[in-house]
Amino acid sequence: MIEAKNINFYYGDFHALKNISIAIKPNTVTAFIGPSGCGKSTFLRLFNRMNDLIENTRLSGECLIEGKNIYDKSVDIDALRKRVGMVFQKPNPFPKSIFENVAYGLRVNDMGNKQFIQQRVEESLKGAALWDEVKDKLHKSAYELSGGQQQRLCIARALAVAPSVILMDEPASALDPISTSKIEELIHELKQQYTIVIVTHNMQQAARVSDNTGFFMHGELVEYSDTKKMFLNPNKESTQNYITGRFG
Amino acid sequence: MNKRLSQQIAFIIFKLFGVLVVAILISILGFIIVNGISVINWEFLTAFPEEGMTTGGIFPAIVGTLYLIIGSLLFAFPLGVMSAIYTHEYAGKGWIVKTIRMMTNNLASIPSIVFGLFGMALFVNKLNFGDSIIAGSLTLGLLALPVIIRTTEEALKAVPNTYREASLALGATKLQTIKKVVIPAAMPNIITGLILSIGRVSGETAPILFTVAAYLLPQLPTGIFDQAMALPYHLYVLATSGTDLEASRPMAYGTALVLIMIVLTMNLLASFMRRKLEKKRSK
Amino acid sequence: MQKRKIIRRILDNITEKLLTISGAVTGIAILFITFFLFTEGAALFQSPQVEHGYALYVNSSNPVNTLQPEENKAIFDGEITNWNELGGKDGEIKIFRIDDAFQIYPESELGENYELLPAKLGEIISKEENILAFLPTQYAPQGAAVKALTAKNIQPKDYFLGKGWLPTATPVPLFGVLPLVLGTLLVSIVALLIALPLGLGVAIYLSELASDRQRRLLKPVIELLAGIPSVVYGFFGLVVLVPIVQKALNLPVGETAFTGSLLLAIMALPTIISVAEDALRNTPRAMREASLALGATQWQTIYRVVIPYAKSGISAAVVLGIGRAIGETMAVMMVTGNAAVMPQSLMESVRTIPATIAAELGEAPAGGAHYQALFLLGCILFVFTMIISISAEIISKKKNYKAH
Repeated sequence: MIEAKNINFYYGDFHALKNISIAIKPNTVTAFIGPSGCGKSTFLRLFNRMNDLIENTRLSGECLIEGKNIYDKSVDIDALRKRVGMVFQKPNPFPKSIFENVAYGLRVNDMGNKQFIQQRVEESLKGAALWDEVKDKLHKSAYELSGGQQQRLCIARALAVAPSVILMDEPASALDPISTSKIEELIHELKQQYTIVIVTHNMQQAARVSDNTGFFMHGELVEYSDTKKMFLNPNKESTQNYITGRFG
Repeated sequence: MNKRLSQQIAFIIFKLFGVLVVAILISILGFIIVNGISVINWEFLTAFPEEGMTTGGIFPAIVGTLYLIIGSLLFAFPLGVMSAIYTHEYAGKGWIVKTIRMMTNNLASIPSIVFGLFGMALFVNKLNFGDSIIAGSLTLGLLALPVIIRTTEEALKAVPNTYREASLALGATKLQTIKKVVIPAAMPNIITGLILSIGRVSGETAPILFTVAAYLLPQLPTGIFDQAMALPYHLYVLATSGTDLEASRPMAYGTALVLIMIVLTMNLLASFMRRKLEKKRSK
Repeated sequence: MQKRKIIRRILDNITEKLLTISGAVTGIAILFITFFLFTEGAALFQSPQVEHGYALYVNSSNPVNTLQPEENKAIFDGEITNWNELGGKDGEIKIFRIDDAFQIYPESELGENYELLPAKLGEIISKEENILAFLPTQYAPQGAAVKALTAKNIQPKDYFLGKGWLPTATPVPLFGVLPLVLGTLLVSIVALLIALPLGLGVAIYLSELASDRQRRLLKPVIELLAGIPSVVYGFFGLVVLVPIVQKALNLPVGETAFTGSLLLAIMALPTIISVAEDALRNTPRAMREASLALGATQWQTIYRVVIPYAKSGISAAVVLGIGRAIGETMAVMMVTGNAAVMPQSLMESVRTIPATIAAELGEAPAGGAHYQALFLLGCILFVFTMIISISAEIISKKKNYKAH
């Protein structure tokens, strides 16, 4: 269960997120849509405190994961990020082998011995539907993979540390249609075990993969509801306009 | 927690390193400035050295360095800029350009004393210039050449291709495009390179040891075939081979400070140019 | 109108030619430098071992036909005193120089222009069986009992592997560069061992830990320090570092190899810091974020992702640092004491290749063996730095696992 309460976020003087509250149920896929610069990515990055890396920012409000405010002083940020995995807009494998990419999270978190790591890498690659394609070249550079494979490698990398939540920041925007559909299929399957939050600028994608959708504009959460309802019968006019492509 | 602790230890070490290095570097600057500032006055800058270089000033060394700066850049600046224009705008991407570029890159890595050797063999002995301003200027110019070429190439690279295409599309020739569009756009950056090479040229000692520098001259040089004094060599003389080293210490501090001031001024000027340029671009 | 067009076309043509020529000139400048350096330097091996214009003569009954440079030095230093040590007969070596002739014969007996000198010298040599005469070839002794020792040219072996650098010794100067090469390497490598960890640490601090404000403050200071002339650093070393080293380590003199390394390390720091910092900052943000998002700490991210990613840039910084250190002249010359001996310890005086050139070229007559030997030192330095700069280029181009 993820819950955000009265979130306000500023980049310097710029008010990027305006009083946003939202509740996300476990084992669902939630999509955030909206025109670029609307704050959807900023909002996503709050859940693993990625925005902490950006200087001169300010936050108010509460962000609860499993009932605990992740911005509480006592929270261990590294442990939080281990629990909340993230997949980025562009595939960003490390300049290491395929195996080492997936093993990275296990190593930095001191998780298990060699055997465990081996087993976990295999499971994660299978979980990301990449195992069959790479099982014979695990020790080749990750950069030898295609863009779509690289992105699934990044998903496997996130799965390896056994998170409960996976954040995806436009994971398919840099990929071709075939790779995109593979990622979408994968998201569907991952839903069984993980809570997934995905940011996308592609409305069809949101409609295809998500259970719930939030529509952002100018830093506000305009509407948040069941995906089917949102696309068939939105409450707000601006949502209607965006979905039907009148702007954005 | 383990990984937390190792992070803390590592970061403390880096901070200590940072503080240590900054302290060393600042103390060098501070040392020269504190000891030199009391020496510098109008007389120091405009008088000849007196009484075995223990009093008086460093005027002839300043003038000599000025001559060397002008002489070397008079030769190196046009040559460097033109050569950069050739390699960047004209020559294709073939092996000739690659070789030229590799060679100029390597020119930059040759130690300055080797330039001194070359200058002595060619300009002083073979061409029979003797120890002279012209021999020193040519040697120093050679040293400044790679700096100028590199900064000019970078300046040309920073000119957007759309400028060139727009000009060519209007029927301008390639040379017209370069003269009227590319060079004006790249000029501020090229000038920045020129300023930086002034800093470089004014401080080099090894190349002028055997090509121009004089221990002490009673009058200013009158032509390009005369020897000249120069600030960096003068500092070397004051520090190691004056008649009375202890007594000439203040003169040495003053000379060192003048050298640092030149470098500082050139650096400030260059970064000022850069900032102005960035402002202009962002408009 | 038509005329103007033609003139302009001609001018343009000239300009374009000029540009081409400039490109060619700068391109071949380095070849030119190489050519000059090597022709002057290689001429050394066509120079005789004995001082120019002189030769060594012995009595013809002496079985010794040739002497090695080291043997010559030992004889004139008084370390070898008997011919039997050189494979000759037992007998004390009697050294004879041209000045000695004037003490035996009054000038009036030698003729107005010394035209009688060769015959007289021949007489002396014939009389003394154990003589070793060092005489100008201009007055080569005449007589049946005179034998000139074969004058060998200077051998590459003696130059590159010789352990003694005594370029002004008479009659046989020693040009062994080993002490200078080893001195240069010793000072540079120790300097790098000091500067590298410090420089890398500061680069990591600047690129990863420092706030924007600290960085904006420190970067220009470091850049400025990279531009300060080496003679100023040398002056600082002389008046500050030398006394400190002497007192702190309780040495008889403070001008040691270690002082040189220390000063070189300080001088190399700005370069190493800025090149390494650039390399570290070039690591894409996405790499750092990916690592942090997996629960790695900042330090884990730095040493597992950022440093490996910047590895080639950092190595280039190291190599550049060595190149600078090896070629540095003035500063090193001012603080290392310049004793041309095989380096035994860091706490003794050494002399580097650049310092040797700078200190001696002024006194070496142009075209002489000493002059050529110094040019050959320049060649050695040139080859060193070429190797270094080319390997730096290769390293910074090679990026393992790098995305296309």
